[in-house]
Amino acid sequence: MFDLLKLACDKAAKAGCQFADARYLSIQRQRVISRDLALSNCNDSEDRGFGVRVLYRGAWGFASSPTYSAAEVERVVELALRIARASAMALRQRGVEWAPEAPLKLSFASSCKLDPFAVPLEDKADLLIAANEVMLGNKAVMRAQGFLSFKRVQRWYANTEGAELHSDVTSSESVIWAIAVGNGDFQERNWKAPATTQGFESYSKAEFVDQAERVAAEAEEKLSAKLAPEGYFDIVTDSENLSLTIHESVGHATELDRVMGYEVSMAGSSFVSRDKMGEFQYGSREVNLVADNTLENGLATQGFDDDGVPGQRWEIVRDGIFQSYSTGREFAHYIDEERSRGSCRADHWSSIPIVRIPNLFLMPGKASLSPDELIGDVKHGLYFEGMDSFSIDQWRLNFQFGGNAVWEIKNGKKAGMLKAALYQSRTPTFWNACDATCDGSHWQAHGITNCGKGDPMQVAQMTHGAAPTRFRNIRICRGRDA
Amino acid sequence: MKRQQAQDLIASILEIPHDGELQVLIDGVERLGTRFNDCAVSQNALKQQATLTLSARLEQKKTSITINALDDPDLIRRSVARVFETCRHMPDDEEVMPAIGKVLASHEYAYSAESEAIDIETVGAWAAQACEAGAAAGIDLAGLLAIGKMFTACGDSAGGFAHERHHRCDYHVTATGNHGSGWAEHQGVSIAQNDVIAATARAIDKCAKAQNPEIFQPRPTTVILEPQAVGDLMAMALFYGFDQRARDEGRSPFSDYDQTLGRLSFYSDPADPAFPTVSFSNDGQPLTRSTWLDQGRLQQLMTSRYWARKNSIAAKPTPNNIILTGDGIPVEQLIADTEDGILVTRFWYIRSTDARTLGFTGMTRDGTYRIENGEVTHPVVDMRWNESVLRLLQNVTASGQPVATGEFIEMAMPALKVENFHFTSLSN
Repeated sequence: MFDLLKLACDKAAKAGCQFADARYLSIQRQRVISRDLALSNCNDSEDRGFGVRVLYRGAWGFASSPTYSAAEVERVVELALRIARASAMALRQRGVEWAPEAPLKLSFASSCKLDPFAVPLEDKADLLIAANEVMLGNKAVMRAQGFLSFKRVQRWYANTEGAELHSDVTSSESVIWAIAVGNGDFQERNWKAPATTQGFESYSKAEFVDQAERVAAEAEEKLSAKLAPEGYFDIVTDSENLSLTIHESVGHATELDRVMGYEVSMAGSSFVSRDKMGEFQYGSREVNLVADNTLENGLATQGFDDDGVPGQRWEIVRDGIFQSYSTGREFAHYIDEERSRGSCRADHWSSIPIVRIPNLFLMPGKASLSPDELIGDVKHGLYFEGMDSFSIDQWRLNFQFGGNAVWEIKNGKKAGMLKAALYQSRTPTFWNACDATCDGSHWQAHGITNCGKGDPMQVAQMTHGAAPTRFRNIRICRGRDA
Repeated sequence: MKRQQAQDLIASILEIPHDGELQVLIDGVERLGTRFNDCAVSQNALKQQATLTLSARLEQKKTSITINALDDPDLIRRSVARVFETCRHMPDDEEVMPAIGKVLASHEYAYSAESEAIDIETVGAWAAQACEAGAAAGIDLAGLLAIGKMFTACGDSAGGFAHERHHRCDYHVTATGNHGSGWAEHQGVSIAQNDVIAATARAIDKCAKAQNPEIFQPRPTTVILEPQAVGDLMAMALFYGFDQRARDEGRSPFSDYDQTLGRLSFYSDPADPAFPTVSFSNDGQPLTRSTWLDQGRLQQLMTSRYWARKNSIAAKPTPNNIILTGDGIPVEQLIADTEDGILVTRFWYIRSTDARTLGFTGMTRDGTYRIENGEVTHPVVDMRWNESVLRLLQNVTASGQPVATGEFIEMAMPALKVENFHFTSLSN
């Protein structure tokens, strides 16, 4: 498989490229979708092709093709060079400063024990339909749905520096949800089986059925929930809810390409300017945020990135102070770092690698602290569970998030459910309002599989994690008028 | 791929022995995208690919497979066998419908010979010209110039066939100064050098007027929303609200809803010159004009073929474009007629906050200005808003001429003047 990739690199080098790399990807997917007591679709897909990226006289060119032959490789390299020459019409004054990386020969595979593509469709149907049947057993539930989604990406990478890298990563994801109708309203409640780079072994019918019963009951309960209060309250987030807040307010904010303006026209920039490194009080002393592209079963754990840099672990925030960014080889020099953090990924063989959020998580608290104890220290507040509405500005400052289910907290205990609750804050205000997070025994990981960035949009996956965490005096507003 | 080539390829696939009904969908794209920032090209990529989706139906069972190797007859043959094998293992679904079986005329409303002729060097030159304009103005320019040359073809073993070539040109540019930014776009099936120049100049002008914004304390107020902001919101409204089955089953903001939503019309029409598009759906249903709101009155919403048959109503497929009518009043006049309000260039990160009331939240971005006594007086700090589309449409008091916009779906939207729009918090 490497022969044609090396041919591409050799041809680019002979043409005078400063750097070139070539990637071949074979992507296999399956998505099984249930609607009530039927499967509404099962789509399998197979997608193969290669892309060649060249840095020629300070300008980038990229071209790709689904046809993997020597002749096509030669044509695509020529095309990439032609595109690089067109790019040179508006050349960056400083050129491209490409961080060095020792060329490696390595292979990485995720720990898939039960190949989801080999599991009979009947077993998948059984899992989803059993859950739907349970949800529909609740008379308030009008629609029960779910899906199982599997992806296997085999990747071969070579560059003009001599790297030869291979990875084989399978990832799995599943969600079930119920829509309840009644009381002049309709409400949705879901359960996400954590998305990981594991196979079908992470799913069990018993758990789906258990969760389905709870999901249906809570969907019904949401119908008669009272509207959330407005004002300032203490809030407690579960690990899934906080995972998305980490993603939006820390993950994207600390992508160095955004900080340097490369994403201004679409995804936006970031308030976390370079002068904040090592000094900025991002959060309270309870806040320790760690990036780790070696995290076991993490969705961004892929052995190496699409710049050919191995996965690494580094600190984003230590004891509340901002430490560093996610980078790629083109960006490391902007913060005077000699090596990339290895967080540059493309979502397809026809896409250009861009800086992506790594696996990123909030470290658990050091002292023993349970969720009940965390909630127990809230007189009047809200408990947010699961992901729902999420929106943040282009500097990653002003955000507003909801929860898939929200409860009122009264005198240290969860009380009734609330409807249309949203918490709105500014990133540093919010993280500095964190006064406690539960200990490691309550820490959970949650996969994000639909992270959009780039222009045109690329979709990436990564894992976040946290234990239930408390924030004091946060603004609560409503998504529905009283 | 031209019509005859597509027809021959689909015919050859349909000839592969199979048990039940086979549908074939082919999507092809050649897309050049040039990104720039800080007045220099940062990424430049050409995507050339085609996908082939095979859908098998055996009575009330249906499944599909997608591959991207159109030039591999062995793989296609194996994929046909595989999709039927998978189909046999599917449980029955009463909602599975037979193939359309119609041969559709090729309208190619969205084909542009001018776009077809644009090459890599032309895109590079136009992007460079934009970068030079930014450098001359002393501001950072960042944007994307993308030319998509595409075709879509579908056919089925019931005799159906449709094919069209189409184009999509997307130029959007953000101009950033020390204390504010401006934005502009050109969307359509075609683009000329002058369109790039004009949009660049608009972004630079917006940026110049956006420096040193002042705080406007967030509160309900009069707004003038420019077309991108309107389009971003209406696309979300379409996705969350305009499904007939959800309406009938009580899962829609329009369930048991009998109010008139202002006086504008909201419709889809692949032939509309404001932003034409492909005239058939992926399963070969012809797309004609579908009106969702007729002068504010709700009409039949998007309806699947299954739901149409069950309820003896017409099927209304998911559209390929959306258009909101307007009064044709220029934005300058809308501003002149406003005593106290906010002018919004662009929305960002719109998300649902309440499906029942079609409530959304989002931010303003890249050019938000105060209007006082009929004039734009100064830029304001960007704001978050929480608003119901139902209420917004009822609060429209004046509107402009629909113009092409849209990131993910082709749209033509007018500027809207809206009373009592709910700003709720400040941004940066």
